[in-house]
Amino acid sequence: MSGIELANVSKSFDTTEVIRGVSLTVDKGELGVFVGPSGCGKSTLLRMIAGLEETTSGRISIGDRDVTRIEPAEREVAMVFQSYALYPHLSVFDNMAFSLRLARASKAQTRDMVQEAARILQLEEHLDKKPAQLSGGQRQRVAIGRAIVRQPKVFLFDEPLSNLDAELRVQMRLELARLHRRIGATMIYVTHDQVEAMTLADRIFVLRNGMVQQQGAPLELYNDPDNRFIGGFIGSPAMNFLDGHVTAQNDAGIEVAVDGADGQRLHARLASKRVTGDRVTLGLRPEHLHPNADGLRVRMEMVEALGGVSYLHTRTPDGTELVVEYRGAQPPADSTGIAVGIDPANVVVFDSQGRRLR
Amino acid sequence: MTMIHNRRRHYLVAASLVAPFMVILALVFLYPAIRMVALSFTNGPLIGAGDWVGLDNYRRLLSDNLFYTSLKNNGYFIVLTVLPTTLLALAIALMINRLSGRLQATMLALFFLPYILPVSVVTQIWSWMLDFQFGIVQPLLAFITGKPIPVFRNPHWVMPMVALVTIWWTNGFNVLLFIAGLRNIPVDLFEAASLDGASRRQKFCRITWPLLWPVTALVLTLQLILQLKIFDQVYLMSQGGPFNSSYVLLLMVYREAFQLNNGGYASAVALVLFVLIMVVSVLQFQLLRLGGGKR
Repeated sequence: MSGIELANVSKSFDTTEVIRGVSLTVDKGELGVFVGPSGCGKSTLLRMIAGLEETTSGRISIGDRDVTRIEPAEREVAMVFQSYALYPHLSVFDNMAFSLRLARASKAQTRDMVQEAARILQLEEHLDKKPAQLSGGQRQRVAIGRAIVRQPKVFLFDEPLSNLDAELRVQMRLELARLHRRIGATMIYVTHDQVEAMTLADRIFVLRNGMVQQQGAPLELYNDPDNRFIGGFIGSPAMNFLDGHVTAQNDAGIEVAVDGADGQRLHARLASKRVTGDRVTLGLRPEHLHPNADGLRVRMEMVEALGGVSYLHTRTPDGTELVVEYRGAQPPADSTGIAVGIDPANVVVFDSQGRRLR
Repeated sequence: MTMIHNRRRHYLVAASLVAPFMVILALVFLYPAIRMVALSFTNGPLIGAGDWVGLDNYRRLLSDNLFYTSLKNNGYFIVLTVLPTTLLALAIALMINRLSGRLQATMLALFFLPYILPVSVVTQIWSWMLDFQFGIVQPLLAFITGKPIPVFRNPHWVMPMVALVTIWWTNGFNVLLFIAGLRNIPVDLFEAASLDGASRRQKFCRITWPLLWPVTALVLTLQLILQLKIFDQVYLMSQGGPFNSSYVLLLMVYREAFQLNNGGYASAVALVLFVLIMVVSVLQFQLLRLGGGKR
């Protein structure tokens, strides 16, 4: 098992640069997740690690070996494709045995290794079937089995769950997490679904426009976003953003007049110096907002009651949406105004360019 | 009740849509075909009545040397064209498939272009190119064999040359079928095979070839049917000669029917060719399907 290191890796198609100087490390045995909106370059980056896309500049290492210019087969990586890429004319057994046969493994060894993978993935009874005879979840498992059989140094997953229905997706997500714990291999997983990223990852890399915006453990990213994009991208429902300007500052933090809120103020902890009148954006997690008679007065628009928790969709006087999480048996009724407050320690402050202020 | 009513209406609509085609088919194909079968049991001319002679025409066929010569030439032509053109088309398709963008379209167009030419133009082009006096290909033939060759007047050269012209003319269509087949194979499979450690040759043998097999079987069968019906090229380039060395079954039908006015005998030959094509193509397609395994 080996870690993966990318050093200043870039990729251009003709004149368009799709990956711009990415440097990152996934440690041995870690599960790293590339997450980001579509078109951010996450799949391209994964394919570069696999060797399916050429790297324009920079260095990719697996273990201590520089693999930047090495053929895919010699990188000792296995990849699970979004489409599964199962060979349709071969049985499940032959699909999983494909790489072993190419490597001229003995018949007995091939059989043992395929059987073992089939046992782990509960595919034993399907070994003679063709991929077309399997359900989506089973095909997914065959694709994973084909990867396991090769005993690669690194597993790469390219949005492997996106073709499954919602229920199966949750189930396969858990199976993947279990599998990772069981075989302890280094894995990189690409997804656009931040929930998948949060639940699976040891370390998340958020990509945008071909660059890593922030990396870290899931909760690090959640609690301490480096910029407004990360704050909005990680977490569901998303972080609320209120624009305003600084009206005062003391040792504890700043006081901000929220735009279009009839002069209402919110407080936030902040160590760095601001000047009165500075434009800032406040990031407020829904679960940190709670009804408070002295707080920000907002208009209720809709209540999503999910049982244990309800989401109150509200708007500030100027129409900015503010989602408030409410825990309690009886959420407040629709069409009433409420006032919400927040502990200044929980308010995240960004400057007018969306950069984090601390 | 409404269900039954609707279903009857459903059938009526379907029948009314199919009927015009069926009527025309019966008029211009089915009826003449039945008449031809009937004609093959008479000694009648092409037009007008004849006397019932039973199986006489077929008996005569079995002792007709020209029939066996034609049959043999048809077989020889099949050997010269069907497999070579299929393999050639596959090779060209694989090469074109590796190109991309405008270059790919251009190359495909170049290979397909001969297919849109009428047969008379094709044979004229090649008659000139292979002409004994001024043919542009003659120096090449002279270089290989030591002397120029009047290919359409040489019994050893005539069939291979007709085959060459036929392949040049029709190969583009097969290339097109193979390209369509190749594009149907997802790129992911080749990428997965690359990661699995397959070489270029292994990818072809283990993925491309088996997944392309249905197309290959189709091309082989279409070619077999088409080349059994060889007529135009032979008629236009060698008229069956020299010494009947390019005489084929359809040429025999043509001569018996339209030159010798032996409608009954010509019908018998045509019917035999029809049965032959049917049996051989069905047999081949079944064999190929078995060979490819169930998919």
